[in-house]
Amino acid sequence: MSVDFDLIVIGGGHAGVEAALAAVRMGRSTAIVTMDPERLALMSCNPAIGGIGKSQLVKEVDALGGIMGEAIDATGIQFRRLNLSRGAAVWSTRAQADRRFYNQYIVDYCKRQNKLTIVEGLAGLIMHEQDRVIGVRLEDGTPVRSRAVVVATGTFLGGLIHIGEKKIKAGRFGEPAAYRLSDSFRELGFELGRLKTGTPPRLDGDTIDWSRCELQPGEDPIPFFSYRSAYRQFEQTPCYLTSTTARTKEIIVANYRRSPIFSGQITSSGPRYCPSIEDKFFRFADKSTHHVFLEPEGNGTSEVYPNGFSTALPEDVQAEAIRTVVGLENVRITRPGYAVEYDYCPTYQIKQSLETRRLSGLFFAGQINGTSGYEEAAAQGIMAGINAVLFIEQAEPFLLDRSEAYIGVMIDDLTTRSTTEPYRMFTSRSEYRLALREDNARDRLFGYARKYGLIPDADFHAFKATQQATTETIKRFSKARVRVSELGGLADRFTKFESVTIETLLKQPNVGIPEILPHLKSVESVTSSSPEILERAAITIKYQGYIDKQAREIAQFKKLEHERIPEEFSYQVVTGLRNEAREKFARYRPGSIGQAGRIEGITPGDVAVLSVHLKRFKSAVA
Amino acid sequence: MRERSAPLDDTIVAIITPPGEGGIAALRLAGPDALAIANQHLRSRAGEPIALDPFHLRYAIFHSSNGQNIDEVTAVSMPHGHSYTGLEQVEIFCHGGRMAARLILEELMSSGARAAEPGEFTRLAFINGRIDLARAEAVAELIAANSHASFRASREHLLGAYSEHVAELRDQIVRVTSEVEASIDFPEEEISPASQAEVTHQIESVVDRIDQLLQTYQGGRIIAEGFSVAISGRPNAGKSSLFNLLLRKERALVNPIAGTTRDYLSEWIELDGYAVNLIDTAGIRIKGGKIEALGIERARKIIKDADLVLWMCDLTRRSWRKELEADLKNLPSEKTILLLNKIDLAKEKSETSTDVVPFIRLSARTGAGLGELTGCLSREIHKRMPDLTSGLVVTSARHKQKLGGAVKALRSARIKNQRGESPELVAFELRQATLCLDEITGKVYTEEILGRIFGKFCIGK
Repeated sequence: MSVDFDLIVIGGGHAGVEAALAAVRMGRSTAIVTMDPERLALMSCNPAIGGIGKSQLVKEVDALGGIMGEAIDATGIQFRRLNLSRGAAVWSTRAQADRRFYNQYIVDYCKRQNKLTIVEGLAGLIMHEQDRVIGVRLEDGTPVRSRAVVVATGTFLGGLIHIGEKKIKAGRFGEPAAYRLSDSFRELGFELGRLKTGTPPRLDGDTIDWSRCELQPGEDPIPFFSYRSAYRQFEQTPCYLTSTTARTKEIIVANYRRSPIFSGQITSSGPRYCPSIEDKFFRFADKSTHHVFLEPEGNGTSEVYPNGFSTALPEDVQAEAIRTVVGLENVRITRPGYAVEYDYCPTYQIKQSLETRRLSGLFFAGQINGTSGYEEAAAQGIMAGINAVLFIEQAEPFLLDRSEAYIGVMIDDLTTRSTTEPYRMFTSRSEYRLALREDNARDRLFGYARKYGLIPDADFHAFKATQQATTETIKRFSKARVRVSELGGLADRFTKFESVTIETLLKQPNVGIPEILPHLKSVESVTSSSPEILERAAITIKYQGYIDKQAREIAQFKKLEHERIPEEFSYQVVTGLRNEAREKFARYRPGSIGQAGRIEGITPGDVAVLSVHLKRFKSAVA
Repeated sequence: MRERSAPLDDTIVAIITPPGEGGIAALRLAGPDALAIANQHLRSRAGEPIALDPFHLRYAIFHSSNGQNIDEVTAVSMPHGHSYTGLEQVEIFCHGGRMAARLILEELMSSGARAAEPGEFTRLAFINGRIDLARAEAVAELIAANSHASFRASREHLLGAYSEHVAELRDQIVRVTSEVEASIDFPEEEISPASQAEVTHQIESVVDRIDQLLQTYQGGRIIAEGFSVAISGRPNAGKSSLFNLLLRKERALVNPIAGTTRDYLSEWIELDGYAVNLIDTAGIRIKGGKIEALGIERARKIIKDADLVLWMCDLTRRSWRKELEADLKNLPSEKTILLLNKIDLAKEKSETSTDVVPFIRLSARTGAGLGELTGCLSREIHKRMPDLTSGLVVTSARHKQKLGGAVKALRSARIKNQRGESPELVAFELRQATLCLDEITGKVYTEEILGRIFGKFCIGK
């Protein structure tokens, strides 16, 4: 078969870019089909990467060789870690990006890749032969042939922007949407649904009275995302916190009927965790004011993103309402906020590898799978890219389970239940949260990254040395003792002892490396360890007990995950199943007994019946 | 877990009434062909074929396949989805005694039904979502129930009050967890999750409720396993005489705990509706009869495990007071009743020397004082029984273990919360607690649990 590229990626957002770059790293010729080659990895909404649950995804993408972490490290203007008081497993790095530089960094990076071609155009049709994808036809009629296709269309697939009563067919403000492609999916027999998201107006920072807002500085030393980033010190740009007023509420309440969210113009559901400002006043009527975070869009621009003020109200109401926010009395809106509805493909139609069931070689990533967020998109993108290459190579897909990565949690969630709102990562979605941390992303994923050729071998070996050093440091911490009399404020916890080990100290609540640093000077060759290794050792010691406790649970989980259900297994012949269970199983086609049990509405009894039949099926096949 | 053949396409059959004499015996057929198989054998008095209507009890003559009249029966059918097992089901009631039921069973099997395995009906009920795990266990207990009180507790479990209660406790834990999780996942939001003190308070409240439930276990165990009474004392104090006397005077029960082999004499009687397991420590059989020390060791163990100890002393012995004084030091006073035996033979009108434990004067030979003894036993049992009116009694050791696990995790969560440890660790412990409760009502599916539970059932139910 003659092809133009091994892989075509439709869409150059955060998912598309990671998919394409993963394929390139694996040695495959790849094309990104995008409407605007200068807008790769653009931040359509807030100018920030990371946050709780999301930073863990970024670190995982980074450990799999992805670009998101290094791009934000290079172009971020403010870095912080959230949840510092809530435990290392949920520490979450968040960075404000210079929106323009971030996108430029990735455009430049992509241009340097020999095996990557950016095709300017609008994808119109998925080409296939029988049930196998063979490429994409652009809207101008040009066919582009490939062995596999990743679809990462974001809000562009059937995108419809709402500003008050106004409706505009667009994927982003001022950019056309892809409607022909939606039709192509419907013609292929895919079921499409509608989701909604929203974005606030952008503001001119020169018209903001910053003195009336609360300063939110960055953190020092600066916490970066990527293991590849060298530390760089720079002057961080602060964010500001302000608040709506009683007057804001009056204006918004008076204009409810003009918001497409309440007028019935929008029927699809938006994210509960990220409501529009009109939604906030409506749903929490007893609350009179709400926070607004003012985030700079970059150093070279005065544009500001008012986080927390997403709205679909008409422009005149937006302008009137935002001027009632403290410090924004004279603000000028540079671009209105809006709601956008777009098509997504309910995820029962994809496998865990993100390949569609309907067409082999066709993969979905990002908002088309009902998710929301750059980080969620990037994580799916890299998985789809890797799996598309593995598909081309006729190799087994790369699947991560819930005990290995947030990526595994997300994809498992997506493929076992249907979304009623855009899906976003939270740390509480992970039952093995204490083991899935920012700090150990490489421990969890580097083996895979190396296996699939996603990272240079040198990185792998360097990390082996880090692991080695961590193990040795842990050993020293378990032996080295500190006299209780020298412990100062910590001493009263150990009144009965003469001395304690560093390990014991580290297991205390609220004790970390900073607290024990003065006592480390006596510990042999630990002083020369890098801060990274000291911290890794400290965190490992803190969590070891819990992780050991959970080991049995994980073993149980793994056992059920390994009871694979063949793709060809027919639920029609499973007698004794409740009809609801039969429909659910046939719809989601779980990959394993473990996954079957997590499908919404499935009872332990259903799984018991299934497992009996599966055993029979397997022994009949064998 | 023992591998079982897949039952799902099969129609299974078993006699569901216990062995022994009875007016009526019952058989149950369950599976896709239950009705068809039953109808083949049912005839009207005039010999016309009969087709059962759902939920209508019909009188019929059960015919063998070669047309012989086997027995007069009544039969009822239940359609798929509306029976105990969730499958199409037919129940046939024939004359009691083993003979008729046996013949009918064989006929049904020759028509295509397979003999049900132990616990299979209940397993099907569980698999088909008719009952949850706690209810399935309750069925096991109901079958083993050998007394009125036991029957009532199992029935309450079956009705689901207990499952609901556990689900409520779980819900309470999930509520606290969500408060803790909110502080982790939404630290920048203007929400105000419960304060540290509130979280502590909420955890304590669940712990209290689970503790209350756990306290019913002692009583629950007595309900499920029966009340054990050890008859003990020095040699020739009259233990065996009393043992036999009680057996003669009270209604004897068939040992309800199948498969237990014990190397001492033990029998069951019913006393005021309670199943009582009488143990005669004199009956301890020691191989070869030579190792006295081993016998004493066994007796000690029995006394330790018993719910009540009847300590007998022989009033005709001259030194009985001195001996008793010594013996009492080794006896658990909170559960010992002193029996001053042989009042018919004793010369002295002895008053007892102790006010440490209650005592009864009797004669195991003549039966004098027996009424007083059974009255006292009945009161003692009653005192140790839980309140059954709520149905919230822990009767299974597995449940006790899981509830205990939940309490342990919750206490750990509370301590971590109070010590100001990070909320992720508090959440971890809360999750462990939830998992423990999940294992009671079967939210978490583990084959091991299923295997253990379903292995416990006796034939056919």
